[in-house]
Amino acid sequence: MKKSIIGFLLCILFCAFFLPLFTLAQEVQKQQVEIPQQEEHEKIIPSPQDIKESTGIFVFIGWIWLVIFILIYILRLKIKEVDRLYQIKYFSSKED
Amino acid sequence: MTIKDLVSGWRTWLEARSDLSSIEQFLRKKTVPQHKHSIWYYTGSAILLFFTIQVITGFMLVFYYKPTLEEANQSVAQIMTEIPLGWIIRSVHTWSAFFMIAIVFIHLLSIWITKAYRKPRELTWMSGVFLLFVTLGFGFTGYLLPWDDLSLSATKVGTDIPRSIPVVGAWVTKFLRGGDDVTGDTLTRFFGFHVCILPVLIFVLLAVHVYLIQKHGMSLPLPVELRKEKVKEIPFWPNFVYREMIVWLILVGVLFTVAIFLPPSLDKAADLMAPAPEGIKPEWYFLFLFQLLKIFPAHVLFISGDTIAVILILLGVIFFFFLPLIDNKPARVKGKVIAVIAYVFIVFAVAMTVWSLH
Repeated sequence: MKKSIIGFLLCILFCAFFLPLFTLAQEVQKQQVEIPQQEEHEKIIPSPQDIKESTGIFVFIGWIWLVIFILIYILRLKIKEVDRLYQIKYFSSKED
Repeated sequence: MTIKDLVSGWRTWLEARSDLSSIEQFLRKKTVPQHKHSIWYYTGSAILLFFTIQVITGFMLVFYYKPTLEEANQSVAQIMTEIPLGWIIRSVHTWSAFFMIAIVFIHLLSIWITKAYRKPRELTWMSGVFLLFVTLGFGFTGYLLPWDDLSLSATKVGTDIPRSIPVVGAWVTKFLRGGDDVTGDTLTRFFGFHVCILPVLIFVLLAVHVYLIQKHGMSLPLPVELRKEKVKEIPFWPNFVYREMIVWLILVGVLFTVAIFLPPSLDKAADLMAPAPEGIKPEWYFLFLFQLLKIFPAHVLFISGDTIAVILILLGVIFFFFLPLIDNKPARVKGKVIAVIAYVFIVFAVAMTVWSLH
């Protein structure tokens, strides 16, 4: 008797918890089927759309190269300095 | 408290926990020879630079890319048209791959010509050749991901080539495609290779390669070593690294300029049922092999021309891999002949590529 009551309660629990999930899954599936197919595009060649965008690109490239040249200038100075320190054995004398 | 004190305090805190100064000392003691062939030393770190750019831009692209038959092409189109700066990210990813492959070829050829693979650096060379194959694998798998007509047809041709290998050929083709033909399964499989298997392989191989370079140091040119000349050396840190930084900056500038002015286009989604379009070509780094396969006659005596071509390519790969063991006496006549083969290979690859383009 007890076993049948437990079985009955388990069935109710199963229905209460899992059936809504099945229904939800079915709804999601339905929604996915209903999503309209996106239109197929032709060949895409990325390029600036207007004068503002193309100016922006040129400015961006200009900035990149300006920063690169400044950094190279600083690095060249740093190289001169570290080479000089190496020649006078600055770091090896520091270790001693 | 000034910023200087703050930085100094932070450094002391970090130093107490990580002993960073020992790494700095190690890098200071590591030296790099300076001679007329030193320029080739910069190619190794340039490859690492482009690999890092690949990883960063790859992470950005993978947020939006969808590796399914229905969505792959559309998601790339979305990256290029709807995601802010998406087209630049994709372009930088593509161009840095081209630059990386080009520099990997230059790096290996420079080692071949200067014979830097000689004893005890045989394993360094072999790990480098593996890295070349993994890099080409990245290029091959990445080419299919936009899923347009050209990439589909080129992948069909590319995955069909191993079929000519005796005994295992058919199995290799089936394994690469995930079936008998190139389908959505191939796309998913290639995506898995591109973002999971190959990255793990490349990190392991890079670790081995860098460890071996650290262990054996930079190689000297053969004539200098034979003459036992005293060569000027500079510390790796910071003297050599600063010089490398200049090269990196120039390369990054060139990469961005090319990526912005010559972005890759995207064709409409591939149709599995459509006939192959005209002018199917792989990426430029496979063109010389593609042309070699094309010029072979259909049959030589009773053997298929494709089989002979594929066997020749495999023999070439084996020769390339075991080069340090074959060229075990680099100063002798055999060594000189092998150096000439390097130049012949360069001329052959360039000529075949140009022929294929026309």
